[in-house]
Amino acid sequence: MRSLLLAVLAAYVVAAIHAVLAFINKRRALQRVSEVALAMGFLLHTGALAADWIIDGHYPLFYLRETLSFLAWTLVASYLLILYRYRARPLGTFILPLVSVLVFIAAVAHSPTAGPTNPIAVRDTWLFPVHTTLLFFAYAAFFVVFIASVMYLLQERELKVKTFGAIFHRLPSLTTVNEIATSSAAIGLTLLTVGIATGMIWASSRDGRLWHNDPKEIFAALTWLLYVSLIVYRSSAGWRGRRAAWMGVAGFALVLCTFFGARMMGGYHVFG
Amino acid sequence: MSIVLVGVNHKSTPLAVRELLALSDDACATGLRSLVDGEIVREGLIVSTCNRVEVLTETAAGRLNESTERIIEFLTRANDLPRSQFEKELYQHTDDQAVRHLFRVASSLDSMVVGEPQVLGQVRRAYSIALEAGTTGRILNRLVHHAFRVAKRVRTETGIAANAVSISYMAVELGKKIFDSFAGRTALLIGAGEMAELAARHLINAGVSNVLLANRSEEPARALATELGGTPVPFNRLTEHLSRADIVICSTAADDYIVTERMMRAASATRRNRPVFFIDISVPRNIDPAVGKIPNVFVFDIDDLESVVSSNIREREREAQRAELIVESEIMQFQQALRALESGPAIGALKQMFQDIARHELKRQRNRLGPLSPEQEASIEALLLSTVNKLSHPMLSQMRHSSDASDAEIIEAWRDIFDLED
Repeated sequence: MRSLLLAVLAAYVVAAIHAVLAFINKRRALQRVSEVALAMGFLLHTGALAADWIIDGHYPLFYLRETLSFLAWTLVASYLLILYRYRARPLGTFILPLVSVLVFIAAVAHSPTAGPTNPIAVRDTWLFPVHTTLLFFAYAAFFVVFIASVMYLLQERELKVKTFGAIFHRLPSLTTVNEIATSSAAIGLTLLTVGIATGMIWASSRDGRLWHNDPKEIFAALTWLLYVSLIVYRSSAGWRGRRAAWMGVAGFALVLCTFFGARMMGGYHVFG
Repeated sequence: MSIVLVGVNHKSTPLAVRELLALSDDACATGLRSLVDGEIVREGLIVSTCNRVEVLTETAAGRLNESTERIIEFLTRANDLPRSQFEKELYQHTDDQAVRHLFRVASSLDSMVVGEPQVLGQVRRAYSIALEAGTTGRILNRLVHHAFRVAKRVRTETGIAANAVSISYMAVELGKKIFDSFAGRTALLIGAGEMAELAARHLINAGVSNVLLANRSEEPARALATELGGTPVPFNRLTEHLSRADIVICSTAADDYIVTERMMRAASATRRNRPVFFIDISVPRNIDPAVGKIPNVFVFDIDDLESVVSSNIREREREAQRAELIVESEIMQFQQALRALESGPAIGALKQMFQDIARHELKRQRNRLGPLSPEQEASIEALLLSTVNKLSHPMLSQMRHSSDASDAEIIEAWRDIFDLED
């Protein structure tokens, strides 16, 4: 499996390097190379995840290696959707290097052959794949919100102070990044809501409790509240631009806490 | 052969002289036919625009002076001008210098505004006129096509044409950074001045679908509205119009602020904070600078636009230095292509000459050989030709080699030895 993941890594690295070069030099040809490499990498990656699932017999979201690889996969899938919908290529310049790093760590990380932290409960329920997949796509969507918000803030600042750096001419317009951020936030929130709901159903079916006061749960709830208020304010009070963008950035900080925080603070969401 | 370019441009010569030398398309076509005599000047092309009049020719070797003389004479005749009036203004470039000059012109490195896109079209036009007049040939065709290639490389590989360098175009460019596309957007013109009209035309070309015009006196607004296909709106209900407009261009002669922060805050609330882009080209300013502090409102006055424009010009100049490197490397490539073009026929002619000698000798001696079957006859010819080819092969490949290695003198020597035409 590792060799397949290395092939995926190679394709993503090629895609990332070409995306960065295309961003710097504004060359179309480089961008095309990047997109072809990315499409190939994505197909291989999908194959690798499917093979993992079939061979190991559990949904490939268990060990750190699998988690990172899966996260990279959701990011690539989100980026491909954005490319298809908005042609906002500059996002790749920031997403693809991160994807490459995630896959690199996944490729070098060791996974224990049989873990004591591999509870049977996880294997048995169909809720595990649904719960985790939804939440991972939600994380990817919030990462897109974050990138788009940063792009918005950079450009908005330059337009207000009227000095334009090299990056200005290379980013998509304010309207485009705003739209990407808004729709990604809406999609992310939907996924997060359903993801949390499935988690609750799963938890109550196991021990009858919906809520465990687990750090991950608390952070997830905070994240949920933040994105709900972002979307509510946006549609009711016409919040947009800077304020919304800052919320997109803050929201992602919470997402990071949800994702990694639980690992550090312990609790019941900690696995392999 | 030599490539010669004689002409004037905006750097060498004031407009007063340039306009006297300028030639219409028809004058170029007829002029070229008289200029190209097939002996001294063998190929020709004229680029005549408001910034330059240049005659590019391919000239027989060693007849440079005659050729220049012929071009000057032609310019005198074509424009009915005494030559004293322009002769000392002319610059002359030969061979590599002429190639460099053409490449730089086509790539817009020699333009008044570096990177402007029109000049390439003008060179294309000049070429098609010459092509129609039948005055281009092997060398100039190759040269001009190479120039197009250089221009394309410069355009795609450098940022020479990337950023706007005129104020009205700058407005469109900045608008695109905010709105992405102008389709479905509404522009509000406050004041019906000339600059506002120009900026509005740029925006309409860029896709703005709705133009509102507000002017203190209604008549000019109505006139401009019909001209631009917009709607005149009453001047006193500005806040209302502001809430509808995505782009506001302001250019009135008022000496006070016409759009105040309070007005804009109200308008912004009505339009639910959707972004607004203000261009204030009036002096003194008509839009309170405090308006720019409102979220999602972007205000650019004339100074802001000018400073962006001048920083873009500096950026273009930096990119132009990269473009010069491309030009230099392309000159080398053109030299190589030219040598292959030149030595190719010479090598072919030499090979032909050897084979002709063999056939001629065979014919001379044929009678002494007596009756032969057609197969025998064919094999004697084959024998002779293959002997000649094998003998001449090292020599020919040596020639090919020297043409690749840019030994122009050696090629000339080969030509002399075998008395080949050039």
